[in-house]
Amino acid sequence: MKGDLYLAWSCDDKIRKMGESGGAVTALLKFALEMRLVDAVVAVKKRNGNRYDGVLSLITDPDEVVESAGALHFAPVNVAKEIHKYLDGAKDLKIAVTCKPCDCRAIIELAKRGQINMANVILIGLNCTGTVSPVVAEKMIKDEYHVNPEDVVGEELDNGKLIITLADGVRIQRDLEELEKKRYGRRENCRRCSFNIPRMADLACGKWGTKGRKVTFIEVCSTKGSEFMAKAIETGDLVVETPDEETLKERERKEKQAMELAQRWEKRDFHGLKGLSYETRLQYWMAYFNRCIKCFGCRDVCPLCYCQECYLEPSREFVQGGQTPPHLMFPLVRLAHVADSCVNCGQCQDACPMEIPLTRLYHMLNRELSSMFGYVPGLDIGDYPPLTIVTPEELHIEQVNVIGKS
Amino acid sequence: MLKSIEHIPTICPYCGCGCGIYLVVKNGNIAGMEPWKDHPVCEGKNCQKGRNAHTFSTSDQRLKTPLIKKNGVFEETSWKAAFGLIAEKLQNAEPDAVGFINSAKCSNEDLYVIQKFIRVVQKTNNMDNASRFCHSPTVPALISTVGSGVMTTSTTSIEQADCIFVVGPNLQETYPIITRRVIRAKGKEARVIVVDPRNTLTAKNIADIHLQIYPATDLALINGMMRVIMDRGLEDKEFIEKRTQGFDELKNYVMTLDLKEIEKITNISLDVISEAARIYATAKRACILFNSGIAQHAAGIENIKGLADLALLTGNYGKPGTGVNPLRGHANGEGFGDMGPLPVFYPGFQAVNEETARCFEEIWGVKNLPSQPGMTYMDMVEKCKLLYVVGANPMLAAPDTNRVKKALEEKDLLVVQDIFMTETAEMADIVLPAATAMEKDGTITCLDRRVQRIHKAVQAPGDAKPDWVIFCELAKIMGFEQQFSFYGPEQIFEEIRKCVPQYRGITYERLKSPGGIQWPCPTEEHPGTEVMFVEKFPTPDGLGHFQIAEYKPPLEVPDDTYPYIFTNGRVVFHFHTGTMTRRTKGLNNELPNGFAEINREDARELSIEDGNPVLLKSRRGEIKTVARVTDDIRPGLIFMPWHFSECAPNVLTGPTAGPPSRMPEFKFCAVSIEKV
Repeated sequence: MKGDLYLAWSCDDKIRKMGESGGAVTALLKFALEMRLVDAVVAVKKRNGNRYDGVLSLITDPDEVVESAGALHFAPVNVAKEIHKYLDGAKDLKIAVTCKPCDCRAIIELAKRGQINMANVILIGLNCTGTVSPVVAEKMIKDEYHVNPEDVVGEELDNGKLIITLADGVRIQRDLEELEKKRYGRRENCRRCSFNIPRMADLACGKWGTKGRKVTFIEVCSTKGSEFMAKAIETGDLVVETPDEETLKERERKEKQAMELAQRWEKRDFHGLKGLSYETRLQYWMAYFNRCIKCFGCRDVCPLCYCQECYLEPSREFVQGGQTPPHLMFPLVRLAHVADSCVNCGQCQDACPMEIPLTRLYHMLNRELSSMFGYVPGLDIGDYPPLTIVTPEELHIEQVNVIGKS
Repeated sequence: MLKSIEHIPTICPYCGCGCGIYLVVKNGNIAGMEPWKDHPVCEGKNCQKGRNAHTFSTSDQRLKTPLIKKNGVFEETSWKAAFGLIAEKLQNAEPDAVGFINSAKCSNEDLYVIQKFIRVVQKTNNMDNASRFCHSPTVPALISTVGSGVMTTSTTSIEQADCIFVVGPNLQETYPIITRRVIRAKGKEARVIVVDPRNTLTAKNIADIHLQIYPATDLALINGMMRVIMDRGLEDKEFIEKRTQGFDELKNYVMTLDLKEIEKITNISLDVISEAARIYATAKRACILFNSGIAQHAAGIENIKGLADLALLTGNYGKPGTGVNPLRGHANGEGFGDMGPLPVFYPGFQAVNEETARCFEEIWGVKNLPSQPGMTYMDMVEKCKLLYVVGANPMLAAPDTNRVKKALEEKDLLVVQDIFMTETAEMADIVLPAATAMEKDGTITCLDRRVQRIHKAVQAPGDAKPDWVIFCELAKIMGFEQQFSFYGPEQIFEEIRKCVPQYRGITYERLKSPGGIQWPCPTEEHPGTEVMFVEKFPTPDGLGHFQIAEYKPPLEVPDDTYPYIFTNGRVVFHFHTGTMTRRTKGLNNELPNGFAEINREDARELSIEDGNPVLLKSRRGEIKTVARVTDDIRPGLIFMPWHFSECAPNVLTGPTAGPPSRMPEFKFCAVSIEKV
């Protein structure tokens, strides 16, 4: 049932070994394919065996699933966007998807808008305390760990440390805070993110509480997840045991630790900006937007931007074409359209060639709107964005006019 | 039923930055483009051209079959028939009657095969390409100073500079990914000096000092800066002593300069010139970036010698984030030079002469290779009766369009091999359909000497073929099966490695890692070279040679009939002659038409308002366009983008430098402008 907790691992030794912690996720995905519960598995794979070059993979052969095993912290793939754009939003394709919490939230937001068919999706969320941009990771490993990035076979974030594992089994750790002071470490949006356990998915999988055992902690978060787990356990593909008190407490402790760190970063990133006067705040952002070359990268990669006739394009006759920088309405209109639903995935800031800290602005505004409306995007498919609905109370506010259908 | 989605890594086919992109292929068709975050040059960021790189390839205007013109109308024909006709004409042509124009949009493999064909089959060195119009002065200028005309630092290390001297390029619109590096350098307190007669986006956004110079007076400025540096003793004495030759002669010359005169010529106050000089000279690592603004002048060679002098004077060579860095325009702008489809170089920059010819006769197993330098681009356009054009558009890219049109009309045979029916293809006798960069495997080498793989994502439409395949088939028909029996690009690359010393250590296997390998790479264990000239210069004595470069005014100056200076350049939404970008909705919809930038005061005097139709005239022709009235351009100067065939700046341009560069003075000629 929803809320059930398991420690799980694969019955297959090879998968157990290759998996991040016991291969439970790999086993589940393989099982889903073998039992034809899904047509395909969507997971991030190392392209050419390169853990810095992760690409979204569509896997239809159960034996291929194991190639996507192992958490990749250096591959911030835009999973929700690619599912929507290339898999037709799972309209006619049953898929099992394994991804980060921000991807899960974006998928749910797209589902709210009828852009992803959740009935066809089994969502297996993975615990996450952040990803590192691949080129930054490679430089960091050379400069701070003094090893060849190609020798790294695994990486994890634990207890305020970024630990890498080399092919010969050697583990090297560095202090995450120190790395991030030097502009290495996690992407900016990840540092602020407190959605570390993806309870918005069908299953939330991670290794908090497992204390290095080759097992995965699985929290069942939906009926679909529960039924899926039950089937996998029944066939014996997935071996489970009940987590003890100590495990539960340890997991709780780690989650609290991660959330506190995230809140500190959020304060660090936003506090100064929120303290600026309106004039100064506008000047601050305009200085950035003056650099915009209208590449549309932010709009292209945003999972929530899918309009076929985008309001920012010249054919809509709102933002004049061919101007660089584009009129201020270009960034501000996109902001107005997306702010209430921004899931802080960071893809826009990743894509901007002019180093404009877009996610910082969008996430900051989302947090303001969040507290205003008591709304958090990406959690519940039935929870509609405040700017798309009108509540009975709002209808009775003076100066609120509703035009249109009665 | 969806069977697969593949992420095919490749390189954006537009500018010389060499940004990686992923093409997503769904059931055999390109479904979209995704960022390649592990790519060291762009790190998952692209400009709008890169983001739309896949679009033009699937345009329904693609050439799909060979075409032959009969009674002024194109008819479809077979490859066999087309080859037959071409072979016959080429075989019966007189020696200097045939010319070949190729393209830096072609891959290394394409260009290697093309130059081999021209030398082995046609036995001539009459070949050239649009780099003539871009960096033809760069090579002689930098060879005479530092021994090699390549970018000395790499894109990724530009951000290590604490001073970046952007001499001419509108970097933010023409090389956005390099601009990002400059922005990052500024984040570490670097100072940026921009020289540009226009107040461009670049000047507004990244310049700490903008020298809004009188056009074509850059060398006066550079000499002036060197004088200030010497007056104040800011030159790098140790570097000059250890690594250069000719300082005394340069100093003697520079000391004769009149700084007040330079102030007048350049229109920049001595204070500002001195400040720029001081910032540049006192930086730990100062990086010069230049492109057409400096090179596309009759004095291009002199201008670039001046830049090299400036860098040698201040010890700005041999370290990351320093040097004099030419920004090649095309995706394979550097590779094209390396492969030698040039009138004066065989592959690997080996000069055309008896010795080199004998050397290649051995490698290729042939006799009688041509050992005399061939004709350059415009000479071939004007003089060769048979002209074979691959991926080039002289009707828009060459100066003095009316003259070019006349010359092309009078050809005995004009063959155009391209992906679209360009303005030049319209005039051809035979048109051959080529594959795009997304439809073939191969390698290209971008501006920081970075050799990278391009990967085939989809099949070429109809009967279109990769350029190298076309030339191999033609060669076989003309009796040269043995030298052109390549079964694939990798085999061609293996032969390239044998001929081009800088590529010797590079293999397709090694090119699997993102970011490729920067040459020189002499052995398979060598990691490639990020920064050039660390220990010494590739000159005979290993030293940098100061050259005296005297400022001279441009070839055609304004007068009473043509009182305005005309210049041209690019905008971010389009690329070059617009062949690809004007067929890309996302780009062309932003800016579907050209315009002429005119200073507000000038416009007022002429009663021209923003948006008015205007007529521009030069001694060579006239064009109509629309006025864009602005404060961002100097009085007396008109600017137009050169992407639009219906108002093509090259109808107006014309005067050209003599040998060795033969560079047209695209950036400066005299025009009149009036409201219509």
